[in-house]
Amino acid sequence: ITKMDLMEQGANPNAGQTIKDELAGKCQKLFQAFLEEFQNSDGEVKYLRDAEELIRPERNTLVVSFTDLEGFNQELATAIQEEFYRLYPFLCRAVRNFARDHGEVPISKEFYVAFQDLPTRHKIRELTVVKVGSLVRISGQVVRTHPVHPELVSGTFLCLDCQGVIKDVEQQFKYTQPSICRNPVCNNRRRFLLDTNKSKFIDFQKVRVQETQAELPRGSIPRSLEVILRAEAVESAQAGDKCDFIGSLIVVPDVSQLSTPGVRAESSSRTAGVQGYENEGLRGLKALGVRELSYKLAFLACHVAPTNPRFGGKEIRDEEQSAESIKKQMTVQEWEKVFEMSQDKNLYHNLCTSLFPTIHGNDEVKRGILLMLFGGVPKTTMEGTSLRGDINVCVVGDPSTAKSQFLKHVEEFSPRAVYTSGKASSAAGLTAAVVRDEESHEFVIEAGALMLADNGVCCIDEFDKMEMRDQVAIHEAMEQQTISITKAGVKATLNARTSILAAANPVGGRYDRSKSLKQNINLTAPIMSRFDLFFILVDDCNEVTDYAIARRIVDLHSRIENSVERVYSLDEIRRYLLFARQFKPKISKESEEFIVEQYKRLRQRDGSGVTKSAWRITVRQLESLIRLSESMARMHCCDEVQPKHVKEAFRLLNKSIIRVETPDINLDQEEEEAMEEEEDDNQMNGHDAPNGVNGDVNGEVNGHEHTNGINGHGVNGESAKPSLRLSFAEYKRISNLLVLHLRRAEEAEDETALTKSEVVNWYLKEIESEIDSEMELINKKAMIEKIIYRLVHYDYILIELTQSGLKGSAESSGTESQEKDVTLVCFAYIVLSCFVKCCQSVMSM
Amino acid sequence: MPTVHDWINNPLAVVDGLFAQSNSSPDWEKKVVEYFKEKLKLNDAHTWVPSLNDVPLYYLKPNSLVKFRCMVQDMFDPEFFMGVYETNDLTSNSKQVKCGKYKDITVGGVDFNSRNTVTSERQTFYCVPIPGESQWAKEISFIWCTSQARVVPSTSYVPNRHKRSYEEDDEMDTQPQHDVDMWGRPKRQETEAPSHDSSSAHCTSSLDLNFPLPGEKGPACLVKVYEDWDGFKLNDMLEVFGILSVDPALSVIADEREASSLLDPTEVTETVEEQRVHSPPPSLVPRLHMLYAQPLVHNNPLLPSSAPENNGDHLSSVLGELASVRAELHTYLTHVLMGDSLAAEYLILHLISNVYSRRDVLPLGKFTLNLSGCPHSSPYTEHLYKVIQQLVPSSYRLCMSLHNMNNQRMVPRKDYTANRLVSGTLQLANNTSLFLDETQLEQGQLDATGVRNITALGNLISWQKVDYDFNYHQMEFPCNINVLITSEGRSLLPSDSQVNLRPTLNPPNLEEYLSAVQVAQVPSQFNKYRIYLSGARALNYTISDEITKAVEEDFVEMRKDDPQSMSAEDLHRLLVVARLLSLSHGQNTLSRDGWMKAKQLEALRISRTQQQKSLSGNEP
Repeated sequence: ITKMDLMEQGANPNAGQTIKDELAGKCQKLFQAFLEEFQNSDGEVKYLRDAEELIRPERNTLVVSFTDLEGFNQELATAIQEEFYRLYPFLCRAVRNFARDHGEVPISKEFYVAFQDLPTRHKIRELTVVKVGSLVRISGQVVRTHPVHPELVSGTFLCLDCQGVIKDVEQQFKYTQPSICRNPVCNNRRRFLLDTNKSKFIDFQKVRVQETQAELPRGSIPRSLEVILRAEAVESAQAGDKCDFIGSLIVVPDVSQLSTPGVRAESSSRTAGVQGYENEGLRGLKALGVRELSYKLAFLACHVAPTNPRFGGKEIRDEEQSAESIKKQMTVQEWEKVFEMSQDKNLYHNLCTSLFPTIHGNDEVKRGILLMLFGGVPKTTMEGTSLRGDINVCVVGDPSTAKSQFLKHVEEFSPRAVYTSGKASSAAGLTAAVVRDEESHEFVIEAGALMLADNGVCCIDEFDKMEMRDQVAIHEAMEQQTISITKAGVKATLNARTSILAAANPVGGRYDRSKSLKQNINLTAPIMSRFDLFFILVDDCNEVTDYAIARRIVDLHSRIENSVERVYSLDEIRRYLLFARQFKPKISKESEEFIVEQYKRLRQRDGSGVTKSAWRITVRQLESLIRLSESMARMHCCDEVQPKHVKEAFRLLNKSIIRVETPDINLDQEEEEAMEEEEDDNQMNGHDAPNGVNGDVNGEVNGHEHTNGINGHGVNGESAKPSLRLSFAEYKRISNLLVLHLRRAEEAEDETALTKSEVVNWYLKEIESEIDSEMELINKKAMIEKIIYRLVHYDYILIELTQSGLKGSAESSGTESQEKDVTLVCFAYIVLSCFVKCCQSVMSM
Repeated sequence: MPTVHDWINNPLAVVDGLFAQSNSSPDWEKKVVEYFKEKLKLNDAHTWVPSLNDVPLYYLKPNSLVKFRCMVQDMFDPEFFMGVYETNDLTSNSKQVKCGKYKDITVGGVDFNSRNTVTSERQTFYCVPIPGESQWAKEISFIWCTSQARVVPSTSYVPNRHKRSYEEDDEMDTQPQHDVDMWGRPKRQETEAPSHDSSSAHCTSSLDLNFPLPGEKGPACLVKVYEDWDGFKLNDMLEVFGILSVDPALSVIADEREASSLLDPTEVTETVEEQRVHSPPPSLVPRLHMLYAQPLVHNNPLLPSSAPENNGDHLSSVLGELASVRAELHTYLTHVLMGDSLAAEYLILHLISNVYSRRDVLPLGKFTLNLSGCPHSSPYTEHLYKVIQQLVPSSYRLCMSLHNMNNQRMVPRKDYTANRLVSGTLQLANNTSLFLDETQLEQGQLDATGVRNITALGNLISWQKVDYDFNYHQMEFPCNINVLITSEGRSLLPSDSQVNLRPTLNPPNLEEYLSAVQVAQVPSQFNKYRIYLSGARALNYTISDEITKAVEEDFVEMRKDDPQSMSAEDLHRLLVVARLLSLSHGQNTLSRDGWMKAKQLEALRISRTQQQKSLSGNEP
């Protein structure tokens, strides 16, 4: 049978190959040789096993790595790349022969070849006329899929005149009857019957892909392309996926062309049947041979794979990726740039300035936001509690201090960022109400429920103006990384792994330096505590800064040319970010010690009351410190958190906490404030002391003052009674147990907390089965008490709350002895592994 | 005369001629484009070319050269075609190599095995008339065309409206309100677009021509682009010169394809929905094979279409005394704004504002004005819009009623079934005036669409961009739209400047008063205003180093006195006001005097807002 290649007619003037294609035959042989001979590093014939798999009835496609082929025979690889469409049937034949040689496959079974690992990638926009027929890789977003149906690839026909059977009539996207019966004496050209049982079919699916945003020139509509998937490639792409397609661009002849005289293949009888209903005018036109000059394009893909790091989609968070796979996805230039960036001594600074070129000053905020973009490493404890790696940042500042600009920049820059305002015009909720203020006749929009995107950055402007219910939702999202939606009585929990970048206005419009941060913003303590970094932007009335601001703004207006000076383009930063985020830095021994050191320092200073910080230093800050250090390490593409990373993280944390120095205020006031804050701490733990508001808290201040004594005590306890010594692992296990128990108790019951004795009893009950004698029970009890003691006073994991309700450190020192009255509260939503690390270092000291 | 206009009447003959001369050297394509460019340059030759905007389609000769003033509404996927093909006449057995460029169809047997076939690529744009184009702009461009050439070549169409030249069209604007009815629809039937003629009326219902604004008319066109298509952007305003292709065979072929694809699902052709969009009947959506396109910076027919060197001198020479035009316009607007001269001043600044540059995410030069204190119950805003419509070349009034907010499609959306961009009211060409009427708003619930629309309007105002909905993601399209918000209290939407309207007059009958104000204008004045507004907007502007320094010092000084009164944002706005104020006086550069005036103006405005606040007793 002569294979009439309609597809190539338009594109390739030399396409009329009616005689045996010699080049193709040669390539078929060479390709078969490749399949037979190519060995992997273990010396096995690589494709043998795969070919044997093809025996299974549902399999028919052999996936071949193009890189292998290039390594085996460069010439063959080039030929295939350039003439893919022409050679494709021959390559498939080679696969068939290969499969037949190595397994019992039905004679009639067809096989197909698919290539993967094609090194170069083309943009959809680059698929021009010259690319027709060659093997290319494109990536695009699948926007539409059609159902799979069988396609006739080779038909067997029965001549209705002479009853002769005509086999193997090739079909190309089009039902094609034999042009003439092969029986030389029979001149039948029209009357044929398709024998479906003897014809061959293939799975066939059309999908439409669209140019990805990254490839799209600004201001243009993305191009789309019809992709044809066959055999095993069907159903491998879903609408919304970003996929790589390897195959070739083809030109599809349209029906009108086929039904015009002069074309060899006959049009389908079904189409012909329609003509009977058509009007005279059409026939008239047809007789004149009117035809369109245009073709339709399609992409025939043999291999589909998800675009790995979803490059085009600007997706920067895909934790399953490895740095290596990302590197693979980049072009040489892109990779070189990333490498160059990772070597940049000034990277930190350059990234900041490139991200926010139009914002003057505020370097610390820029750094904080940058670290937020890199993020810490999310962890899961042995108990299955997941701990966020996302860094949350809050910018508090006077009006018109570029707060919104920061948010807008981040929204522009990062994928899946949501920008929303706590109130009014840009409500991001699902619904909203328009309400009229009767006094001023102003309309106000009251936003509905807030939507949060999973895996993104949520920029919230006017955070303080946000509705309480939204604040609660945000709170949940910030800590649990989920968001709960109650609708029609059904509560759904959705993932919301997002970093929050919030901007808030100070109470009363201006930041009052004589007051604490807490008093300056209208946020609840639990929410405040979920931010890793707070930045305070004060509209300083200072000639130098005023000049700088004026210069920047006037500059903006006086220079015509649109030049924003950036060391790195946004795309370069995006790529770098994607790459760097694949690192999961571990904390080195040195850094661990350093973290502990810094943390202790923070707490000491906090306790000593020398500097009045924005809030109490708690384990949360330790968590933040770890996250920020990890983020720093990521930024430099390090696998290990080094002390220098911790140092910068600490510096930033320190700045963020104690940014605004308070001028002298009278002591009474300070005391009041201290009280207030202690109460806040109380709330922070989601717990009210049994006595209600007046319940006194022995915060860390007390704990700290006693550190020395306790320290000694703890050591003594351990050395004097060797029987109470326990391995670190054991200590860790028990303390985790306790913390979890307390947490559970807190979550279950907000009203009453567990007293220390309750906890001890619970623990003993837990290990009841292990206890044989009374002696052992007493020992265990002593041990658990020691552990709790250590947890409270040394590791600050738990806090003791006394019920006696007395103020002042003098008094509270007395409470130490009244252990029975003490209520235990798990102090933090703590990274248990971090805690463990700290303990470890403490113990090793 | 006929020979002179051959390139208009039968441009394909010119193309074929140049192709035949070329002896298959590829630069014939360039020569064709050059030829037509040269022809169009010759003494206003482009005005002889009939316009699709003005002449009904059935009066135009197929395959003749026509022009179309339009906006790119959508960009389709590229298509391949036979750029060169060979015909095989079976009867005479003679072969002939032909050029397939600028054509949709061919007649005669094509030899598909010919070695001479060359496959080429072209791009299709879906173009619609400029959305919201004012009636006066349409009429003037029509007159421009007919009065200069005095003939409409190659058509038998004699427009049955009065032929008036631009110079003598004084009476045209005498009673502007009478040209349009209450809804801004033209009353005169002959200005209606051909698609609404009885011959094709039955088709319109089944085919959505995808105009961005509701109630728009006029032809939509599939423009086939052969060169440099990546230079065109969505929403660009263009004047396309191209070869009109309306062969009915096109729709027959499409019908046939549709019928067959219904029967054979394995066909790799488009779906029915796609075909309807991509191959509409040429009688409704003609094809235009682009030879040359002039990008339009503005669509004001009173100004030259491209003005690369724009300075105040040029404008003054056109207008004579610029200062007097400005003063007259100010007086006129003061009357319209019921005696509020400050509001009139700000309205002028608003009307000449223009996003001249973008710094990162920040659009520079925009000046959204919120005119608060507009009466709630009277049709005042409607009249105000009509006044603005008379002044700007394109505009749209969006009534922010709850119903509209919840139901109107504002943001364009990609329809993947039909594979097209479904337009929305915010798909507007540059420098369109968008009149947001918040006085029409009432209390109530906004649904999901309403919230999206409000957000879209907020983004449009703050960042001059619209995020088009591509289902799987959003895509940002920058725009340059002048937004004017009229409201009773302060608008719920953000704005660059809020002026509280303070009428000094209280006419007993508002409507009568306003029409009296209109009538009182010498009609030729309108054209001066139009030239002035479009011209001032296009002026260049610089700030000298000396003034830069002075401004900086002034800022520091002002903050010393009272840091609360002057923030960075205030400076930002002040500089925009100063820029617009200078431009409105035809000055290309900021002077000390201009700076002081801008400061005074802002001080007046702010004091008024503060008074308003203390009156209503509301906290900021």
